[in-house]
Amino acid sequence: MALRLRTGNQMIAQGAIQAGCRFFAGYPITPATGIFKTMIDELPGEGGVALSAPDEISAVAYCIGASMRGVKAMTATSGPGWALMTESVQYAVMTETPLVIALVQRLGPSTGGATQGAQGDVLLAEFAVSGGYTLPILSPSTAQECFDLTILAFTWSELLRTPVVLLSDKEVGMTAERVDDDLLRNVTSQDRLQWRNRSGGLEFMKPKTYGTYSFDCVQEIPAFTPVGGEMKVTATGSAHNKQGKLQKNSPETLEVLKHLEEKIRWRENDLVKVDADIQNGAKILVMSYGITSRAAKDAVAESRKRGIRVSFLGIQSLFPVPSRTITESLQGVGRVVVAEENLPGLYRSVIERHCNGARVLGVNKIGSLITPNDILNAVQS
Amino acid sequence: MTTESRTITKALAPIASYFVKDVKFPFCKGCGHTNILRRLNEALVELQLSSRDVALVTDIGCIGLSDGLFEAVHTVHTTHGRSTAFATGIALADSVLADRRLKIIVLIGDGGAMIGLQHLVHAAMLNVDVTVLVCNNFVYGMTGGQSSSFTPEEFLTSTTPKGNIVPPADLCEILRHSGAPFVARTLATDRELPSILRQAIDFLGFAVVEILELCTEFAVPANELTGKKLLEEAEKNRWKLGILESRADRALFVDRYERTNGAKELSHPEQSSVRRTKSAVVRRAVSIVVAGSAGEGVQSASSLLCQAALSANLYVTQKNDNPVTQGSGFSLSEIWLSPRPVGFTGIEKPDFILVSSEDGLRELGLQGWMDRLSPKTRMYLDDTVDPTMVDDRIVRVPLRSTFGPRSATLGGLALMASEQNIVDPKMLVALAADRYGERTASGLTDGLKRLSAGGGAG
Repeated sequence: MALRLRTGNQMIAQGAIQAGCRFFAGYPITPATGIFKTMIDELPGEGGVALSAPDEISAVAYCIGASMRGVKAMTATSGPGWALMTESVQYAVMTETPLVIALVQRLGPSTGGATQGAQGDVLLAEFAVSGGYTLPILSPSTAQECFDLTILAFTWSELLRTPVVLLSDKEVGMTAERVDDDLLRNVTSQDRLQWRNRSGGLEFMKPKTYGTYSFDCVQEIPAFTPVGGEMKVTATGSAHNKQGKLQKNSPETLEVLKHLEEKIRWRENDLVKVDADIQNGAKILVMSYGITSRAAKDAVAESRKRGIRVSFLGIQSLFPVPSRTITESLQGVGRVVVAEENLPGLYRSVIERHCNGARVLGVNKIGSLITPNDILNAVQS
Repeated sequence: MTTESRTITKALAPIASYFVKDVKFPFCKGCGHTNILRRLNEALVELQLSSRDVALVTDIGCIGLSDGLFEAVHTVHTTHGRSTAFATGIALADSVLADRRLKIIVLIGDGGAMIGLQHLVHAAMLNVDVTVLVCNNFVYGMTGGQSSSFTPEEFLTSTTPKGNIVPPADLCEILRHSGAPFVARTLATDRELPSILRQAIDFLGFAVVEILELCTEFAVPANELTGKKLLEEAEKNRWKLGILESRADRALFVDRYERTNGAKELSHPEQSSVRRTKSAVVRRAVSIVVAGSAGEGVQSASSLLCQAALSANLYVTQKNDNPVTQGSGFSLSEIWLSPRPVGFTGIEKPDFILVSSEDGLRELGLQGWMDRLSPKTRMYLDDTVDPTMVDDRIVRVPLRSTFGPRSATLGGLALMASEQNIVDPKMLVALAADRYGERTASGLTDGLKRLSAGGGAG
């Protein structure tokens, strides 16, 4: 057994390398810098490129460019950097470019509190795309989960051809804890489906029927062709047809726009990752995510010690919302407690509609961790 | 990968044109863009680059419509001003991680050049194999002829109706001083344009060509602009024309990167996994708050304690806190050591507190820790820290004078570990020797001896 003391940030970097990420461009920002630093230290030794960009806009654009060339790429930032990156995140959505962005939250608004944890960016991240396109979001709560979910984020991003956000926070990212190397799965992420030239020729393919964004049915993921490959890439962030040609409101262009959402929605039941601890006969369900899941689990354990029947649902795949799993966890439940480190109850506002009329209570706080006691009080109230 | 060469493959069959069949230019009559694109196509035809090895990257504005006109190259249409950044990403991946085949050509206008100035500057600094053609017609044509950052003084545009009062920036000079190894400025109508384009594309490294041209829809009618007047404008602004820079002595990023990172390094060099020991350790979850001054090794001493606990197969978490600066003010660690996995990483009622400096005590007060002590909490305080504080739970130790300011926290943790049977202090000393060297370790051992000879903690 090999035990090490590692931060969540270090484990995201390690997970990325394990997943096959070979390109990282970063810009320093507390509390995400640990990911950048670990990639700078370790990626060259893995034959990859890690470099400093002059700002967050360049950092994410370099990553998207690298991904278009066919390389798995990641960047990491916090709320203020995310604000700068959203233009290009939308570009990655529109051009169906795989990309993983670790968003290590800190207290906002604006530059807020650099060394203070928070879970205030969950909707800022999800609703960053004009038109309301689903951005898959995975949220780890431990160093081990940072590793596992980073690999999963790459798999989703590769298979769906879309950017995926790893939503961490200062407390998950910068807290060091025990990691058992033997529990780290030695797997890489799955890779994007590549377009194959069946004729085997070396000529530059300018297909009439098959384009950069081709699909037969709207849910299908187009096969990827790298810039520099043998098939002509026609990539664009503007509304386009399946060939990548700029078009205004043609039926095919509208179909492509619909496809961008449908390819994710159609698979939403496969994109579920939760930490479920359902107790028979429980009348109360505690839900949480990220760092607050840890306090929630402790509160659930303590509640059970006191004879209260209570279930726990830690949500790791925040988006697409695991609505079916949430509904299934509500059998016999009359009260739902949702704990998260922001004042309005951001994620609660999203999942409330899936709670089938159960009473939904929020446990919310900023400035310090939500404690097991805070949640226990809500469970007992 | 050979240095200073691009493995460009020539086209298999001769390419007569890189345009789409029956190309129709979407630009206004007389617009310089049409001429520039025709000359670009001719340069490509002359160089006969293999289609798969050329990527044309564009963004927003009239010139951003160019990608749709080219068929025999990859095209990537991006967001306003960002095309150089996306191109840089493609070039970095292509040169370091792939087979270094691609020639990337960026087409932007004067608007995009300024929004994306940092991308141009950084691409020049990196020296990636990207050729940028800046089509400067002094206005935003697509949105109705507004002024740009490169509009000459006194120019009439829709946003400078009384004449531009802001002197234009000199893009070529900015990029030359950013290290761009190939810089040229010319006119869309210049006879030298084809030759300059060919040289810029053929150049191995970052090349920029600023092409001055006429926007016939806006700049021309408002300013009675002609080709002759354009030349006069260039002269007036001291915009030198021709190839302003062409140097072969600047290494590409890929070459510098490979030179520096050539040898495959061992991963995780900073921390090997821990040695297992069977020393006496806590059998229940223990919480410790460590507080001191930033720059005095508070968090790294805490991490050594965690390492020592790991070697005894305990679960640990170490949650750190400090002001936004790194080397001033307080530094604080909250530690859990437990035989079982740790959930909540915060501490509500600490079992132990160690304070190695006044900064640490002040911060504990500000954060309300002093109201969260239990009757069983033991506090190890340096003896210089607020001597007026009296409490049965306090253990006063001359940490700073015994171990020195930079080892006071480590010494305090070793003492606490030993007296409270938290972890084996010998393990802590061994880990200190690994991380800081034998001198620190023997200082630690000596200090602990002196403290126990002097009656230890009082």
